[in-house]
Amino acid sequence: MFQTEQEHLIQMINQIALNNISAGDENDVADMVASHVKKFWSRRMKSQLFECVEQGGEELHPAARLAGERLQSETKPLPQ
Amino acid sequence: MLQHFDPRIDHNRDYGTPASLSENLVTLEIDGVEICVPEGTSVMRAAALADINIPKLCATDNLEAFGSCRLCAVQIDGRRGLPASCTTPAEQGMKVWTQNDKLAKLRRNIMELYISDHPLDCLTCPANGDCELQDMAGAVGLREVRYGFDGENHLDAPKDTSNPYFTFDASKCIVCSRCVRACSEVQGTFALTIDGRGFDSKVAAGQDEDFLDSECVSCGACVQACPTATLMENSVIEMGQPEHSVVTTCAYCGVGCSFKAEMKGDKLVRMVPYKGGEANHGHSCVKGRFAFGYATHKDRIRTPMIRDSIDQPWKEVSWEEAIGFAARRLKEIQSEYGRESIGGITSSRCTNEETYLVQKLIRAAFGNNNTDTCARVCHSPTGYGLKTTLGESAGTQTFDSVMKADCVLVIGANPTDAHPVFGSLLRRRLREGASLIVADPRHIDLLDTPHLGDAMHLPLRPGTNVAMVNALAHVIVSEGLEDTDFIAQRCESDAYAKWRAFIADERHAPEAVEAITGVAAEQVRAAARAYAKAPNAAIYYGLGVTEHSQGSTMVMGIANLALATGNIGRDGVGVNPLRGQNNVQGSCDMGSFPHELPGYQHVSDAVARGRFEAAWGVQIDDEPGLRIPNMFDAAIAGHFRAMYVQGEDIAQSDPNTQHVEEALRSLDCLIVQDIFLNETAKFAHVLLPGSTFLEKNGTFTNAERRINRVRKVMPPIAGKEDWEVTVELSNALGYPMNYSHPSEIMDEIAMLTPSFAGVSYDKLDQYGSLQWPCNAENPVGMPIMHVESFPIGKAHFAVTEFVPTTERANRRFPLLLTTGRILSQYNVGAQTRRTENQVWHNEDILELHPHDAEERGINDGDWLGITSRAGQTVLRARISERMQPGVVYTTFHHPGSGANVITTDNSDWATNCPEYKVTAVQVEKVSQPSEWQKSFEDNNQRQQKFLREAAPAGEGR
Repeated sequence: MFQTEQEHLIQMINQIALNNISAGDENDVADMVASHVKKFWSRRMKSQLFECVEQGGEELHPAARLAGERLQSETKPLPQ
Repeated sequence: MLQHFDPRIDHNRDYGTPASLSENLVTLEIDGVEICVPEGTSVMRAAALADINIPKLCATDNLEAFGSCRLCAVQIDGRRGLPASCTTPAEQGMKVWTQNDKLAKLRRNIMELYISDHPLDCLTCPANGDCELQDMAGAVGLREVRYGFDGENHLDAPKDTSNPYFTFDASKCIVCSRCVRACSEVQGTFALTIDGRGFDSKVAAGQDEDFLDSECVSCGACVQACPTATLMENSVIEMGQPEHSVVTTCAYCGVGCSFKAEMKGDKLVRMVPYKGGEANHGHSCVKGRFAFGYATHKDRIRTPMIRDSIDQPWKEVSWEEAIGFAARRLKEIQSEYGRESIGGITSSRCTNEETYLVQKLIRAAFGNNNTDTCARVCHSPTGYGLKTTLGESAGTQTFDSVMKADCVLVIGANPTDAHPVFGSLLRRRLREGASLIVADPRHIDLLDTPHLGDAMHLPLRPGTNVAMVNALAHVIVSEGLEDTDFIAQRCESDAYAKWRAFIADERHAPEAVEAITGVAAEQVRAAARAYAKAPNAAIYYGLGVTEHSQGSTMVMGIANLALATGNIGRDGVGVNPLRGQNNVQGSCDMGSFPHELPGYQHVSDAVARGRFEAAWGVQIDDEPGLRIPNMFDAAIAGHFRAMYVQGEDIAQSDPNTQHVEEALRSLDCLIVQDIFLNETAKFAHVLLPGSTFLEKNGTFTNAERRINRVRKVMPPIAGKEDWEVTVELSNALGYPMNYSHPSEIMDEIAMLTPSFAGVSYDKLDQYGSLQWPCNAENPVGMPIMHVESFPIGKAHFAVTEFVPTTERANRRFPLLLTTGRILSQYNVGAQTRRTENQVWHNEDILELHPHDAEERGINDGDWLGITSRAGQTVLRARISERMQPGVVYTTFHHPGSGANVITTDNSDWATNCPEYKVTAVQVEKVSQPSEWQKSFEDNNQRQQKFLREAAPAGEGR
């Protein structure tokens, strides 16, 4: 009936990417998205994003996927 | 109107006429006493400042002098006659005499005439003890009435008891016009007039209607202004005169009016707006002044209650048992599902101190950052947008600043309903000639301000704010209306260049977006020019800006407009969010958001976090926690299992009700602390009685960053102030909290929050209120922000791409629903529905344009099914020209209305603030309530029964 948690997160991050589309090229947009997610998303929301990226992230906006990949590489040295 | 802290002014006295703001001083002599006053001060006020009280009836210091009663006549050396001291300005070297035989005779004669047509029932009159007519009769030494009482008179004039809060007893009226002038000058409604001439003159409401049927908005300014018992609060008629009073702060909207709670023992007799209140200067609205009966309503929760399942009756228990039960459940859930499986919601209705403690409890005792507040669903985009552009998550001005504005741009706000006291101040400025631009899908009452000069309405389509603000900015840039000096000196040049290139693009031209906004390009150009060319232009905005999927973008777009035209950093300009609830600003300041510690210090900032860790003696998580919508998703997903909700009704106020209900049902433990069994509490396992603002000490912070004291006037109905409950819960969880008074909590806040460093209860008592930042650089606070620099150094122009919402009208859902508020009800209505305010609005109504009604064969009062992709509800129809075709509107003050059953979980891209303002719907005539409404009513009946069954035998509720 409702969106799953992950569906909602995908919608949210794509929305962040779209609303920052004027930041520049895909790299710049990804930077904006990554810094936004880093600053506002909880640990678990981030890990769900990483799961989505690991699964190919096909539903993610390209800049959102790139942001996810960057955040994941930053986060990896600190596994929980 | 602009008043600054002056310790010589006693706000409990009436100085007869308003203060003059002139900086030129004149010295005069009154009864041999020399006094120096600002030029423009009346002789009456000058005398009062010298402690010389000239008799008066038609004068009072919140109204302009009128000069009708002549009781205040004085003699002035070198002048002919006996001029009225209220209308005579003090002049340099003037010598005034306020008492001599001639004056005494004149005054006695005047009083004799008044009293010859006045009932002599002083001993049984409700104004006995607080009657200026009685006082003046005494002051002038009236001993006889030579005319007798048999002549023509008004003693049989009928009473008007139509208003539930006050009575109009025309037989006691002296036709001083104070009520009429208060309605016009202070409230700005012009509902009252003097009807007839000479002896037939009488006060009339509307077209000689009952007060209730007239345009009267029941603000009570007339009641306050009346010198006799003509207009009198029913509570005073019933209870008699109060015997003491306490100054405190209203718990309704974000204006944060100061009131004198006038008491008899621990019984509240009436609320009288306090003249010393810097937010309201002695004015109020129907909610603040009259709608306080909920505090003692029979529905108040008086005992803590617990239950294992929401399908069980409540069990009344001791505080100790309830707190112990709650703590045990929270610990069990955390040990089974992990540290992050629980969280809480702080209240924008509770005090700063209470909010601070709840987020502290979550961060320190729960050990996570799963804290959020209802600001999430109203003004979170304001925090994000203003922090990004101006560097601080707050409005830039005082309310009084509007009195210096030459052009006022109101976007997505309805001040006369939602922020009535500010609405009155704004109307006063509009009457003085400021121009008005309203960008709103609806025709709001502000556009009908009497004596309004220039007004432009931009009736844009819901969801197109960003396209509109970009078009306004495009005109400013393309027509060379920018303030280039301001931009060069005060703004980041790279960001500005990038923004300028973006906004100058022709796709933002009013002509290009006309098809999107629905507003004619020429109107947009005219509005942009008016805003940009005004010497001082100010923007006021409300939830019609924030509650969109582009809410944060729009807030940044508004800041861009102000920056581009240099309308920041002085009186009369600025960016002014009109906050919804009383303490939305405060709850944000106090660290309620999951990513920020108090004072907007990010949890990942090791230095700031380190200060809190040292003071609290715990480690604080450096990752943000869950926001409210994320909590709901996580609850349904099964890894978020318990919540502590203080003073919020998320089941009614949050969007997509069925989703919220499913989330709440998924919780293993829901702890609700509230004054009533609200909608959320129907899903709770622990119900902790809350306390109203009358029952506790603390502070609220209003929309102008003003920290105001809340003072306890009666004991908490269930024995504890809300902060005490949080302290006990924390202690039961094993994290010790130890405070004996909220002032100690404020001391801790001041120690840890740079913008509050200089705040203390002693200083608040001394100055009345303080606008943060209040610290070493600004020891008595900062009324206007960003005067010389921004907290981020230079302001940041943000690029504001318009990304339309995915919620669009289509063939299945051809109309757009937008939601809002009404004057007489407040938010979810839990308080105002339990007062006589119900007289004005006892159900939520769907407003629609005659064209849409005609197409569907709808008449006024028909039952309408309103369906969106989220759900369906049924409301009664009101056909209204306020609406534009294709747009329908309702309020959400009554839970059974299910307004939020239809709203979707679309939200702002940056903050997840819900998109309450745009829902695609279809509307059709129906004959019965919706399925949701039926199940709501069933559940309501069941939960009310569970509550009744909880009462000990023999004590029915």
